[in-house]
Parts: sequence; C-alpha cells; structure tokens
Amino acid sequence: MASVVSAENQASAVAREKAAPSVVVATPNRREFLYYIWGASLALLLGEASAGLIWFALPRFKEGTFGGTFVMTGDKVPAAGSGPTRVPEGRFWMSNVQDEGFVVLYGVCTHLGCLPNWVDTNFRFECPCHGSKYEVNGKYIEGPAPRSLDRFETTLVFADGTQVVQNANGDPIPLEGRTVSEIRINTGKRIRRAGKV
Amino acid sequence: MSVLPFPSFLDDIKEKGLKRAVFEGVNEVVERLTAGMNLQDIREALRGEAPTRKPNPRLQPHADGFWLHMRPSYFHKSVTGVYPEFRLGWLSTYFVFFETITGIFLMVFYTPSPDVAYANMLAIMSNVPLGQFVRDLHRLGAEAMVLIVTLHMLRTFFTASYKKPRQFTWATGVILVFLTYFLSFSGYLLPWDQLALWAVTIGASMFEATPPEIVGTNLNLLLRGGPEMGANGLLRFYLLHVLAVPALLFVFTGVHYYKVIVHGHSLPPKEENIGEDTAKRVPLDKRVYFIPDILTSEIMWIGVTTLILVILVTWFFHAPLESHADPQITPLGTTAPWYFLWIQGALKLGDKVLWGIIFPTVYVGFLLVWPYIDTAPSRRWAHRRLQMTIGFLIMSFTVVLSYMGLAEFGVVNSADITVMHHMTMEPAHNHMGTLRPIPFEQLQAGMYTTREFAVEDAAEAQSAVAAFNAELELPPPWLQGQADAQPVGEMVLAYLDTQHLPLTRLNFTTVPSASPELREVVEEFEHELELKETELHNAWGVVIITDVQENLKRIDVMILWEDVVIENGKVVFDAEGEPVLNRDENGNPIIRMNSQHIYIHRDSQYFAAPGA
Repeated sequence: MASVVSAENQASAVAREKAAPSVVVATPNRREFLYYIWGASLALLLGEASAGLIWFALPRFKEGTFGGTFVMTGDKVPAAGSGPTRVPEGRFWMSNVQDEGFVVLYGVCTHLGCLPNWVDTNFRFECPCHGSKYEVNGKYIEGPAPRSLDRFETTLVFADGTQVVQNANGDPIPLEGRTVSEIRINTGKRIRRAGKV
Repeated sequence: MSVLPFPSFLDDIKEKGLKRAVFEGVNEVVERLTAGMNLQDIREALRGEAPTRKPNPRLQPHADGFWLHMRPSYFHKSVTGVYPEFRLGWLSTYFVFFETITGIFLMVFYTPSPDVAYANMLAIMSNVPLGQFVRDLHRLGAEAMVLIVTLHMLRTFFTASYKKPRQFTWATGVILVFLTYFLSFSGYLLPWDQLALWAVTIGASMFEATPPEIVGTNLNLLLRGGPEMGANGLLRFYLLHVLAVPALLFVFTGVHYYKVIVHGHSLPPKEENIGEDTAKRVPLDKRVYFIPDILTSEIMWIGVTTLILVILVTWFFHAPLESHADPQITPLGTTAPWYFLWIQGALKLGDKVLWGIIFPTVYVGFLLVWPYIDTAPSRRWAHRRLQMTIGFLIMSFTVVLSYMGLAEFGVVNSADITVMHHMTMEPAHNHMGTLRPIPFEQLQAGMYTTREFAVEDAAEAQSAVAAFNAELELPPPWLQGQADAQPVGEMVLAYLDTQHLPLTRLNFTTVPSASPELREVVEEFEHELELKETELHNAWGVVIITDVQENLKRIDVMILWEDVVIENGKVVFDAEGEPVLNRDENGNPIIRMNSQHIYIHRDSQYFAAPGA
C-alpha cells in the first residue's frame, strides 16, 4: 500500500519533526476521499431518519379539536363583583368584574398546567400545585407563573340584538347595565395577556 | 459390544457398574454447567479448603462461562468489607433486576389505556393473588432503588473514587442516576389516578419550557401525544417505562460495570499512596476469590435486602392509589415523590425555564464534569476538606429545596379549605385524610357536630348537641326578632342541596360509642377549628354520613363561620388585635359555609400511614 508520507519526504519529515513538532498529513487519496463521502451520506441518512422518526412520533390532532365554540344563555353571567362561574367542560371561568365587565378566563395555570381553584374566602384564584395566584379577572398576583391567565375570545349578544366582540387585547366587555341574551366563547382562539397585566 | 451403534452411556454402565457410571455422568454435567468446576471442586470451595486441581478450577467459570466472564475472579481484601463500598453498587444492580422482574409480573395484568388502567390497578390490588404484594414490592423497590443509587453516588463522591482513571465511570454513573429517576417518573403515570395524571402533567409541562420554543413545544407533544395528557400520553409513557429507558439502563449499566472491572474497585483512600491507583495490582496475599467467598457474600446481601423489602411490604408499607384521574380537577397537595421534591421546591421560586430546565441541567451537568474539575491527586479525607464542604453544601441546598417542595410550603389556602383538606385528602406518599382510614363499620350514617367536643366536660356532650339542634331552628342571633328571618338550619339545608346532598331535616347526635375512630376525627376537627379561630370566627363543623348504596357511603364535611375581612390572603386586625368582621349593609356579620365530600366503599383500601 502507498504510505501516506512517501519515501523521499520521510527524511525531511523526520527532520521537521525534530526541529518543530508538527503533524504532517498528505491530501487524501481516492479511497480515503470516497470513504469520507460515504460517511457524509450515512450522516445525512441518519439525520433524515431521525427527522422522519420525530415527525412520525408527533401526534396528529385537529387544532381546535379542544372545545370549539361554546354558546351559553345570558342567565349564566355571574353577578357583578361576585365570584366567577366555572364551566368544567370548557376548562374556563366566566367573570363579571366590578367596574370592568365580562371576561372569560382559560382555567389552566400558566405555570405548569394545573387547574387553579377559586378560593372565595380570599377572593382570588389559587393554584394548588406551586401557589400561583390570580385575581378575578385573571391578573397575576404572585407566584411562579410567568403571566396572567389566558382569555378566550368572547362575543356577547345583548337583549336588544346588538353584539359586542371582545377586542384583540382580551379586555373585559363592559356590560353597562344591558341584559345579555347569549354568550359565545371561542375556545379555539386563546388570547395571551402580555406579561402580568 | 454396545447396544447402540456409537459409544454411549450404556457402555459406561456395563464397564463400571451403574452407580459409578451415574456418578461420573452427573459429575461431568456439573462441570459443564458450571464451566469448569466438578462436584469435588465445589465441595472443596464450600469447605474452605485450598483447591487440589491445577489450574485452579475456581477460576475456570470466569474464563469459560458467560455469566461470570465480566466478574473479577478475585477482589482486594480491603474492598470486601462493609466499608468502603457498603455493597451499594451490587445492590444497585440487584434493584435493576428486582424492578424488572416485579415489573414484568405486573405487566401480565396491566393494559396502558385510560379506560382500563385504573380498573387494572384495583384488580391487581384486590383480585390477583399476591397482586398487592407484587405491586407494593415494585413501588417500594423503586423508592429503595433511587435511595441506593443516590447513596452509591454519594459514597463514590466522598471516597473520591471518581479520580483518575475513573472519571468516565463516574460520568456513566451520573447518566444511570438520571435514567433511574426518569424510570421512576415514567412509571408514576401508569396507575392513572389523580396523583399520576397531575404529577406527570406538571413534569411534561416542564419539558415544554425547554428553550427555544419550538424544541420545547415539540418535546411536550412527543411526550403527551396530544394537546393534553390522555390515552396517547399514557401509552407513550408506558413504552418509555418498559422498553426505551430500561434498554438504555441495561446498556449503560454494561458500560459502567465494564469500566469498573477494567480499572478495578478503588481501594480505601488511606491504603494507597497519594496519586497512585494500585487497585488492579492485587498482591497474592490480599486476594479474596470470587468463588466461593464473594459469591456467597453477594447472595447473602441480596437475600437480606429482599427480606427487608418483604417485611416492610407485609406490615408497614403499601403503595397508595388515589381516586381515578380527573382532568377537570387538580387536587390540593399534589406532591412529587421525595426525590423530586427539590425540583418542585425550585419551581416555586419563579420562572419555569430558569428553575425547571436551566437549574436542573446545570446541577446534573456539574455532577457530570466534577471529576474533570477536581483533579487533586489525593483521595484522603484530610486533603479533601474543600471538596467535602462543597459536597455537604450541595446536599444541604438540595434538602432545603426539598423542604420547599412540600405541599405545605408556599401554597397557602384559606383556613376552611385547609381544615377540610386535612380530613378528606387522597392518600399521598405518607399521609391521607383522617376520615379515610376509619373502618367501614364505624361510619354509621348520621349527623355529627364539633359542638359535641367544644365543651370541657364529656358528660355535657349530649346537652351540647341538643343545644346545637335547638340553635339551628333559630335565625342567627343578630336577626332574631325579625319577622321573616331564615333559621340557620334552613340555610344549611339549602346549601347542602346545592352540593347534591338533599336532606329533609337536620338532626345531630353524639358520635356512637361503637365508632371510636370517627369520634377521634371529629374531636380533632374541633381542635383544628379552634386553632383557626381568627379566620374562622365562631365556627362550627359537621360531619354528615349518608348511605348511598349498599356498600357505599358518602361523607360530607361542612364548616359554617362568620366572615372576616381578608386582604391579600391575610386577616385584618383591629386596634385590639381582634379580627375585623365582614359586615353586610345592615352592619350584621355575614355567614359563610363551605363543604367537601368523599365517597368510601366497603372495599376501599386505605392503609393507615406508617407510624400512625
């Protein structure tokens, strides 16, 4: 087999070694080069296989399979300033916040996914897992949660036929004394509050 | 001359006689099965005599046999005692196999589907002979395994056995610890009870916090198999638990143990010169041969360990099972198992990316690279004061974080919920609601009140209860005299109706004398209410037991009290240090009620907590 360092260079290589220790490597020959190409193709294959396997293992589900739009009659609106009403099937709470209006809160803690309980005595949500606390409108009070409770886009239909859709910020819809005939809650559209507001 | 066309056993019988031929036949079989030791060699070894054959037949099984090929044929005398290794490495290996075997037996009766998993658990616990036994062994074995491998790691740290050339062995060991913890975590979900569902929901959410966001989200989806933890998630965790992680565990155990053998068991620090590693060069007079001494010692150790586990499981420890997983309700007091409490404590500190991902990664990473940081040549304790200090500091830090992880820390609750929770909570790791372990026969249907125990003298209990009944027929004191004031009893009935407990009338009695454990619980209830007097002003509590079905009872616990002004979760006091009552528009106190209920079946198995 052809040695990497040919005979003529051997002496000078040794001399160079003695003078300043350094590694002398010749350019790859065809066999070595082809091995490198083959190795790269194997690496590519492995990479593709891994990506394919991950794609295989990712679950398939329809976005919005969870929930859809809930329609509730207007009498379900809680009294202003009282505690929120729980809707377990939708995992949300409906709050009528004094001086602010009607808002629907997604009942999953923004920390690690537990369901905070409404504690009437303290008039706030308290998460049983790590102690995150939120006010009746979902605003963050304290705890390890990174932000306030998320909200669902809500449409209120009033008795006089008008409709009011919640704004993009998810601010509560003021009731202004009007009677609500229907509440439409779109659980496919979750509004994340920016920060702890 | 032979009966068969080739030489055979029958020829031997003809030549030597039956007895001799059989003996020689058995001898040869034994020698083949043991890969080198015949009956006389075995007897000599067991009698403690020197081997008579050459080469030493006790070394042949190591050279020729599969099972012993990786085990050393001799150990250094100094590592055969309890110190310095405490046999923890051997016990760790044993627990891998112990858990595998008990796990395989459980697999016979378990299917990883939310529809049947919980029923399977109930069947294993009550309908399979020794089912509860095997399940308890598996659960206790898991906790013991976590403890043993952690102790093994601590031992290796303190005897500085991770130093050159064993750094890589230590690194594979850290990986094994991590795999052990993950095995325990993935097994947690399988019973599909409340603890399983919510502990794993939290755990999977932690993975979701991995930065960058696309990695975290997809990691979470891969684990859960869907937007929430459900059937897909259960199946995936099951596969992780019984296939993927055990496979990794076996591979890494092989790598780890091979490195241990290649370098040899490190000697006690003071027996080596500093900086030297002489473990592989064992002088002849210091050798203790594997057959028979080490082999019998190992068997004895795992025999004693198994005995301890069996004793614990028979009398002291029973794996808990909470109620069926309910995605709508997160129970109060979901705790991680004790070895994950430190993470739970860290999570209470703040940002889940920092404390859930970055902190544990740094923690484990620090452990992994420690041998490459601590390169000081000496393994002796006197020369390692700094390293030992660091070790103790990290252990203390972990203990403090674990305390913070407890359910009681940082997760405050209103007083009424705390008191009721104490009575109704699901069985967690070492405690459960006081109502649950009461024997079924003592849960006599009736209505019982804490007023019975609010009097000093036990003789006055009857009249106290009678006075309570009378009090309920009247409106609250500040409304008496008003025409249409509602009696307190009616308010209570209306409230209980909203809790789906329709009663026609209230009639409280003293707790029957045949129910001493129930009496204890109600008495403790009264004490708890007294302790929380500031928040629960003028409170009384009741326990109402109703027969729902033939073998099913419902227990309602209710507290009625006068509302107190609370700001930011704390009671507001007036100038005299008395709590300020919340008053309505007429200046009258406001009555509050809260209740919880649980169902107890005759076959519900609630084991009293150890030591209780």
